[in-house]
Amino acid sequence: MAALSEEVLLVVKRVRQRKQDGTLYLMTERIAWGPEGKDRFTVSHLYADIRCQKISPDGKSKIQLQLVLHTGESTTFHFANESTALKDRDAAKDLLQQLLPKFKKKANKQLEEKNKMLQEDPVLFQLYKDLVVSQVISAEEFWASRLKLSSVEHSLSNNSKQEVGISAAFLADIRPQTDGCNGLKYNLTSDIIESIFKTYPAVKQKYAENVPHNLTEKEFWTRFFQSHYFHRDRINTGQQDIFSECAKQDEKGLKSMVVQGVKNPMVDLLSLEDKTLDEGYGSLTVGPNSSKTVKENSNSAIIKRFNHHSAMVLAAGLRKVILVYWKFNKFYPELNLLFMNRDAPSDQASETSSTDGNSRDSDFFQPPIKKVKLQEAIEYEDLQNGSGPKTIALNLKKSDRYSHGPVPLQSHHYSTSQDIINSVSCIQEEISCYKPCLTRVMPSSAASSAITALSPGGLLMQAGTQQAVSQLVPTDVQSELKHLYTAAGELLRHFWSCFPVNTPFLEEKVVKMRSNLERFQSTKLRPFQEKIQREYLSTNLTSHLDEMIQAAYNKFHAWQTRRMARKT
Amino acid sequence: MASEDEVSLLVIVVDVNPIWWGQQAQREPEFNLSKCLDAVMVMANSHLVMTRTNKLAIIASHCQESHFLYPNKHWKAGDVAGDEVSSGSGDGKYELLSVANDLVAEEIRNLMARTQVKGHQTDTLLAGSLAKALCYIHRVSKELEAGQDMKSRILVVKAAEDCALQYMNFMNVIFAAQKQNILIDACVLDSDSGLLQQACDITGGLYLKIPQKTALAQYLLWVFLPDADQRSQLVLPPSVHVDYRAACFCHRNLIEIGYVCSVCLSIFCNFSPICTTCETAFKIPLPQMMKPKKKKLKTAN
Repeated sequence: MAALSEEVLLVVKRVRQRKQDGTLYLMTERIAWGPEGKDRFTVSHLYADIRCQKISPDGKSKIQLQLVLHTGESTTFHFANESTALKDRDAAKDLLQQLLPKFKKKANKQLEEKNKMLQEDPVLFQLYKDLVVSQVISAEEFWASRLKLSSVEHSLSNNSKQEVGISAAFLADIRPQTDGCNGLKYNLTSDIIESIFKTYPAVKQKYAENVPHNLTEKEFWTRFFQSHYFHRDRINTGQQDIFSECAKQDEKGLKSMVVQGVKNPMVDLLSLEDKTLDEGYGSLTVGPNSSKTVKENSNSAIIKRFNHHSAMVLAAGLRKVILVYWKFNKFYPELNLLFMNRDAPSDQASETSSTDGNSRDSDFFQPPIKKVKLQEAIEYEDLQNGSGPKTIALNLKKSDRYSHGPVPLQSHHYSTSQDIINSVSCIQEEISCYKPCLTRVMPSSAASSAITALSPGGLLMQAGTQQAVSQLVPTDVQSELKHLYTAAGELLRHFWSCFPVNTPFLEEKVVKMRSNLERFQSTKLRPFQEKIQREYLSTNLTSHLDEMIQAAYNKFHAWQTRRMARKT
Repeated sequence: MASEDEVSLLVIVVDVNPIWWGQQAQREPEFNLSKCLDAVMVMANSHLVMTRTNKLAIIASHCQESHFLYPNKHWKAGDVAGDEVSSGSGDGKYELLSVANDLVAEEIRNLMARTQVKGHQTDTLLAGSLAKALCYIHRVSKELEAGQDMKSRILVVKAAEDCALQYMNFMNVIFAAQKQNILIDACVLDSDSGLLQQACDITGGLYLKIPQKTALAQYLLWVFLPDADQRSQLVLPPSVHVDYRAACFCHRNLIEIGYVCSVCLSIFCNFSPICTTCETAFKIPLPQMMKPKKKKLKTAN
């Protein structure tokens, strides 16, 4: 039997693969299956090669386990033992779940990263194709400088995962579906359950107490939905209801919330009162102590419950913040002062303490809140004499330099004062008797020569006949030239970054890059040049590329001669 | 057919530097300031005639002031031929044109009459005239009726040379015009002007240095009369390559690669450890010196 030296962790008999009976073996480093009666394994996969495992859903008659490899292949095992099939399959699944993460190769993750990078950036993909696929440089060199950047970004983004908040409508989203015969079916997902637990910690407590000792999960939730705690009218609460305590706790919480009130001195909730329309469009304020009808009572109960629900949702989101601050305050009392003076944390804290009703931390933050709020409202930061960052004044000795434009100093026409006087008097004479004579503005010969000059091909239109290079060269040649430039740029960047050559690694790299450049020139550049020559494109499109590569060769030659000179 | 809602305003800035024009009259008597003004008037009339809603302004750029030749402060388009006894030239011309022409002639006569010779003021105040043009355009655009659109452009007829001292103001004007989508065209009579080339390039206008001064009217009508939308349909002289190189602050040479002080942004052609404009001292890190090998031997022992 192959690999007897390996430690076998689990053996499962009566497992079929491809309609053949056999035995499944789980070892320390791989999973293998051999057919009944034979000595060797026909199927063997290292855990490192397995991407994930899948199991068939509960209701199906066939109990199967599927392994999906990184390459995309999958192998399916069918557990055929009538009595213990499910147990076997689950045992195998659990063991695999424990073992697989250990063998997840880091290299595979990098491979996925590389693939993702190539898919996202078409320029990079093109560069990869040009350089690596055509063997100009090796894949390691290509990825050497790039992977560093991406791994830093990844680690940053993974560490700061945000917590998902609670939707206020989560209870409403559990839309019950009618079961056909007077029953209601509620679909509960784990998200909804989590929201319920976060918002109503009392329910969580009940859950912890009762499940799984007294009730199964299903029964617990059935009772939850049946109880009047959940429904609108909480007027009749049965005594056997386990949730009656929750209802009482909620009432208490609500009362304490009302007592605490809102800490913000700018908000005065007590001045709000109900105004209804009276006869003749006047308004009638309903006093707080007037008796209410039964209908109004149930309405107020609903409103109370809405308020309580919203308050609990808000509190759940902020509770974590409070816990963090409370821990901080316990262990770092000096930070207490820090939090007192800052606006944002104390703001949140005050709201949490008042809305939760059950928080112990409300006392901590009470005193400075009012002062902070008042200060916030009165002072505007930007209107105060800012003690901004200290700046150094610019000390310009010759500021008139700026007013002179980028015009080279011309030798100014020096006009003598006599010239000036003459010119001015001449002009004054001329204009003093100026009368516009618009019928004889210019001689026709001048006009026609001007027209000739302005017509296409004329004196002034010379520059326009030259077409832009972009119009002469077809687009596919243009795009190929762009790819050549990107590839050459990449190679030259690697080359020039080796200088100054200090270490033996850089020496090797320089030599390698020079040979890469030569190879690039011969495999990519020359054929392109021949191609454009064949197509009679007279413009010398690749002269700049040649210059750049020649400059690199010259530098290499100079460095090499210097090195030889040093050695001798 | 242009609708009632499109207003096109043309502001012509004419360089009437008396010193240059006086010398020009002596150099080339067949083309003097009168002829130039005639040509400009032809252009102005043509512009007014093209569309009923076209507006016009003419500014004379003198070395002492910038003066509006048209429209006059005391004249409104409404009261034409009210008090004038000699209304128009009697040749059946469109009233507006004849009034405008007379106005321009009178203004230029007055302007030249009050010229006072001052030795140190010999440069045309072009930047100031352009600024006035921009302000006028801005004012007119505020006086439009609701629903009216205005497109404006400035045509500069330049005679004398550039004044380098006006550089800062000039650039400010250019950028303001660019922001307001106002084209600046330039028709240069004598020497090429780098500033106007930049202005035309930045705002999208046309720059033309005309070879024949006597045919000025023809050039103006052919090249500068159509407005921006129509120019795309016409074959006009191609744009000039503009030299945007900076000049170093020390020698005023045009340089392509230079040194810039990071504190005051002044440009130099040579490196100097202290910037002469703001007196900041700069330290350039020297390349790392190789540690002498003697030390290693010492520690080994």
